[in-house]
Parts: sequence; C-alpha cells; structure tokens
Amino acid sequence: MFKYVKKLEYPVNVQRKDLKMAKLLLTQYGGPNGEWAAAMRYLNQRFTMPDERGKALLTDIGTEEMAHVEMIAAMVDQLIQGASVEELEAAGLTPHYVEYDHALFPMDVEGVPFTSAYIEATGDYLADLLSDMAAEQRARVTYENLINVTKDPDLLGPLSFLRQREIVHYTRFKELKEYYEEKYGKQKKNMER
Amino acid sequence: MYNKQMELYEPYQGFIRGNMFPNLYDQYGKIYDVKPMNEQAELLTYLDMFDFALIDLNLYLDVHPENAKMIELYNSFLQEKRNLMKKYEESYGPLTTNGLGLDMVPWSWDNNPWPWEV
Repeated sequence: MFKYVKKLEYPVNVQRKDLKMAKLLLTQYGGPNGEWAAAMRYLNQRFTMPDERGKALLTDIGTEEMAHVEMIAAMVDQLIQGASVEELEAAGLTPHYVEYDHALFPMDVEGVPFTSAYIEATGDYLADLLSDMAAEQRARVTYENLINVTKDPDLLGPLSFLRQREIVHYTRFKELKEYYEEKYGKQKKNMER
Repeated sequence: MYNKQMELYEPYQGFIRGNMFPNLYDQYGKIYDVKPMNEQAELLTYLDMFDFALIDLNLYLDVHPENAKMIELYNSFLQEKRNLMKKYEESYGPLTTNGLGLDMVPWSWDNNPWPWEV
C-alpha cells in the first residue's frame, strides 16, 4: 500500500510566473520521459522481477518517482498561478486553457496526451532493466535541456536535483542488471514454456 | 567521521546535490543551496535532508544488501529523522495520518499549506 507524507522530497518555491516554462515542464509530468511514466513503469515491472533485490529496487525507485511527479506538478502549478487568459494566449497556451483551464493535464511538450505505451513492460527482466536504464538517461537529457532554457534559480535547484536522481537510478538499475546476468545468465530463460 | 569512512556526503551536502555518493555525483551547472524562508521551512529542511539520505541509502542497500556499515548508517539516519519528524509535527501538525496532533478538533490533517503551495 501507499501512505502520503505531507511534504515534498525537495522544496519547490517558484516566485516568478513563467508560462512558457510551465508548458515545457509539463512534458516531465505526462511526456514519454516524464515522471508519471517512470513511476508507473517501475511499479508495474516489479511484478516480473526474478528475486527480492529487483522487487525491492523497482518498488523503491517507483515510489520515489511518485514524489518527483509531485515536484513537477508543484513547479507547473506555481508557474501558472494567477495567469490571465491574455497571458496564456501570449504564451501559446490558449488551446490548453480552452480544454483544461489551469488544470495539470499530463501531456508532452507538443501537447500529445499521456499514453500507457510509455510504461514499457516485456516480462523479461533484463529487457525491462535495459529499457529502465535508457529511460533514466533520456530523462536526464530532458532535464539538462530544461536547465539550459531557464535562468530562474527557483527552477534550477529542483531541476538539478531531479536530473541527479536520474543518474543514481540509472546506476542502481545497471548494478541490478549486472547482478542478474551473473546470477541467471545473459539471457532470460523461458522456463515456463 | 562516518561519512569519510563510508565515502558519503554529509546529509545536507548530499541533499542539495540529489546524491549521497561522491563517486556517482555528476555536476551540471551550479550547486544550489536550499534557502528556507522561515523557521518552519528551516526545520523542514533538516527533516528533508535526513529523509533524502534515507531514500538514497535505501536504493543502495536494495542492491548491496550485505553492506553492514551502510545498514548501521541507515539506522542512525533513521533515528535522526524520527526525532526531527516528532519535533516538526509537535510544532506544525501531522506529516502523515499516523503522525502527531491528529486528536485535535477540527481535523488537523486538512490544514494548509499543502506541500505544493508556496
């Protein structure tokens, strides 16, 4: 089960309204390399991990990703606080306003809605861990690009924190994958067949 | 101290970097200090940094379950976190629905601010 802790993993206090950044950040909420996709991917894949290490790691990283979903949502929400219809229009957010008003609808940077295809599950723990390692690297790149397009220290702190978490998660997935290759061999055996 | 032997950052230094492990740390741009705006935020920062250290050590231990020194360190951080959580909840209300201060009327869990609010 899950229990809520009434705080963020890392504080988010954005003082300055910035609708363009809000639109860009929304991709780390509901885009292909976003935190929602990551959380659901790991919490889903853990059911087919072959031993206790994998079940623990995917549960714990998946749970941490839920805290990252919340941080991204907090940033987007604070960036659009009090924005008028005119301001939304100037930032190219009129379509978003018409459909979703100030709601946080999970979508990528082009407005493509979240899809379960982002979740990636094969039932093959090595294939899944390889895809998880790649997902962490892609998310790291996205965070670097977001860091490159803002000068707001209120955003740079949390974005740098989130970028660094991708590196740690990547490393732990890699260690687990190497441990499994050593323990079970380089290919998953389809024993059930 | 412990961190030298374990080759770990101190909790605050790890927290602001997003990484307790200097051998894994990959800097990109500046390192940003967390600047609490009031007493409540300051206490929360202490709690956040121990909570963060626990998250990061937890992930490490998931894949290195034989590291007794790291388990010992995890438990010492856990003690710090429990003390700070108690201190925070005594002053500012419950952080979980089994925390301190839930016997008050009206129901204190509802109280603002919620974490995403500035």
